[in-house]
Amino acid sequence: MSQDLGKQLQYVTFTLNKEKYGINVLQVQEVLREVEVSPVPGAPVFILGIINLRGNVVSVIDARTRFGIAAKESDDKTRIIVINLQQMMIGILVDSVAEVMNIKPGEIEAAPNAGQSTTSKYIQGLVSKDDTILILVDLDKLINFDTRSDKFAR
Amino acid sequence: MPINLEDEILQDFLVEAGEILEALNEQLVELEKTPQDSELLNAIFRGFHTVKGGASFLALTNLVDVCHHSEDIFNLLRNQKISLNGEMMDVFLKVLDEVNSMFNEIKSGVDPVAVPAELMQQIVAMQKPVVSTKKARQAKVTRQQKTGDQQKKTIKSASEQFLTSTADITDEEFEVLLDNLHGAGVAPKAIKAPDDPANNDANKPVSDEEFAKLISKLDGDDKQSVAAASAETRSASAQDSITEDEFEALLDQLHGKGKAPDKVALPAQARVEAVRPAAPVASKAASNTPLAARREFTENKGETTVRVDTSRLNEIMNLVGELVLTRNRLNTLRQTFEDQRVHKAISTLDLVTADLQNAVMKTRMQPVKKVFGRFPRVVRDLARSLNKEIELELRGEETDLDKNLVEALADPLVHLVRNSVDHGIELPEIREKAGKDRQGKVVLAAEQKGDHIILTISDDGAGMDPEVLRRKAIEKGLIDMVAASRLDDKGCFDLIFLPGLTTKEQLSSVSGRGVGMDVVKTRIMQLNGQVEINSVLGKGTELHIKVPLTLAILPTLMLQLGTRKFALPLSNVSEIFELSAKKINVVDGREVILNRGRASPLFYLRKWLLKSNEAYTELQRDPHVVMVHAGNGLVGFVVDQVIGQEEVVIKPLDRLLQGLPGMAGSTITGDGHIALILDIPGLINAYS
Repeated sequence: MSQDLGKQLQYVTFTLNKEKYGINVLQVQEVLREVEVSPVPGAPVFILGIINLRGNVVSVIDARTRFGIAAKESDDKTRIIVINLQQMMIGILVDSVAEVMNIKPGEIEAAPNAGQSTTSKYIQGLVSKDDTILILVDLDKLINFDTRSDKFAR
Repeated sequence: MPINLEDEILQDFLVEAGEILEALNEQLVELEKTPQDSELLNAIFRGFHTVKGGASFLALTNLVDVCHHSEDIFNLLRNQKISLNGEMMDVFLKVLDEVNSMFNEIKSGVDPVAVPAELMQQIVAMQKPVVSTKKARQAKVTRQQKTGDQQKKTIKSASEQFLTSTADITDEEFEVLLDNLHGAGVAPKAIKAPDDPANNDANKPVSDEEFAKLISKLDGDDKQSVAAASAETRSASAQDSITEDEFEALLDQLHGKGKAPDKVALPAQARVEAVRPAAPVASKAASNTPLAARREFTENKGETTVRVDTSRLNEIMNLVGELVLTRNRLNTLRQTFEDQRVHKAISTLDLVTADLQNAVMKTRMQPVKKVFGRFPRVVRDLARSLNKEIELELRGEETDLDKNLVEALADPLVHLVRNSVDHGIELPEIREKAGKDRQGKVVLAAEQKGDHIILTISDDGAGMDPEVLRRKAIEKGLIDMVAASRLDDKGCFDLIFLPGLTTKEQLSSVSGRGVGMDVVKTRIMQLNGQVEINSVLGKGTELHIKVPLTLAILPTLMLQLGTRKFALPLSNVSEIFELSAKKINVVDGREVILNRGRASPLFYLRKWLLKSNEAYTELQRDPHVVMVHAGNGLVGFVVDQVIGQEEVVIKPLDRLLQGLPGMAGSTITGDGHIALILDIPGLINAYS
């Protein structure tokens, strides 16, 4: 499919605190309206809890906490994007999901190497389009399995 | 040759040879006890032979070499040309270790390294002391030359000529011949060998097995091999002194030949199909004699098994798990239906699901023999190194257990058996002084009781002294004087599960470091099992391990805290009562609850498991206390509400959450919500 569109890439865009982010569509499995999330005692703060996705138990990450943005009450626009990463399903809680955008690889600019902000660690690149900036998220860094050892430190 | 792990033939070999090697381990130890057992010798011989056959096909020359020489010796042994002694046993066990490590190398895709030359010399040397074999060998050489010449002629006439040329064979040679024929029957891999053995056999001595290969090759090429075999039967009957056993072996051979052409005709990978006998020929053989008919029957029976990848079984198990959850859900919804027919349908579904669950569980069952099998060797080696005389008795080996459990239990059991051998059984001299047999006895038993398996490890050794344990525990500061004085004998025995306690004055490589028993206990607790010790000083020690039949489905007690549900493994729960009914005391700044004359620590699960904003709201309803087994005692958990018993399917937490202290997994409850399954030891460690 993507070959038909030339070298275009497709990104699912979502918003967090009025900023627009994008995830490669190939990594997205589905988008859920918010369902009941069961918190897991002792889990890292950025993990909201687990949900029952048709019999599968899936962890949900709070994108706001992960990006260092203050938490917000969920409303009727709140969504959980279920992504498929390393053969594992993970949910990401976001403010809202907007659309699927076509992007040419040439349009992607390298992320500014500025500062230590929590967000910049998870950025793959930036795209300026229609007066807005789309931040492309590096999911592998966002959801890092290797920080296990210190993860459960109390 | 580089090893291609994708190769199906290699995979088949790994499975088959793996089983044989496991069996060899047991058989060799068994052989030490009954060195004259010819059936056992035959079995070992065949074992080495089959592994060698497969290895030679895969060109694993180093493995072939060692198996080949071992096989030769067992051939001599079973023909009583040489006799077995202790030194040879040691060499063979060493050989088996080498073969096993080679096997593991192959498994990881490495071409196996050759056996140390020294060991190889030892093996080869074992063949030498026998002079009488010389003659046999010469005979072999002549025979082989003859066969070499005949290769130029047609293969069919070769086989016939050979058979006539051996018409006047001696008993001994006849036996060798029978062995050859027999070898051909049991070495399907050899038949598959694509290279014509005739080509490379010409200029080097032909071994029995190569000869066997040649014969099977002939069989394969020549459909009239059955005729050839009957010709042979004629030559055999000329022998007059043919015994029943030999006759049976011949029948075997006839039968084997019936199959052989079929096998060769099929592609090598089609293993399953190759096992199917060529029906017309086989049935002809069957009609000849009732014996063969019986044999065919048993072979047909063998075909009823199919090898299935465990991942496929796991998949089925998961699906059944989903079904169980849906059933639970329907059961919950049942009350809302007025219609009797719906009730009936749900009841039926309930029953069928339960049966299905059982049936699927059974497919994952493996006999506990899988774990027990390694113990004769472990005990033997250990007893030797400790200069003890120990007999190991295995009981209930056929007891079935969930595959995962079998694997999970292996390590703790090894540890416990080593303990029995090292700590339990005394040295022979001491045993004699105490009026016992020089030989100690360790019994490893398994039996099923309801939905649990009880494993028992008992020895008739020195037993444990509760006073010594008490003293040691105080010395090491593991418990205080007051607590120690309150322990009964059983409580003292349980002290050995505390980390850091050892009764051995001296450390050894075997045991005595004081780590281990606590690990054993933790492991068994993780399997939702329990351990119990009984010991009588001077008489022996008995350890009981109780584990559930399966790990996939867990009976739990559902609890409610605030709006959330949690599941406690039911095996840990000892008692439930209302909080208000008992008196809470404060000891040392901690709350304890008095129940049945014992004081147990009391914890509020709400504070541990709910977020701080939920945790300190007023307790609703009547809070209950659930008493659970934890470590060596009981602990009370205060919960808002006890919902009841529920069988749940464990859904492991994903990689992001795995290893979270206190959480054993999660499950989906009958009403579709998620409940976390608590891991009690982990929970107490993490939060108290």
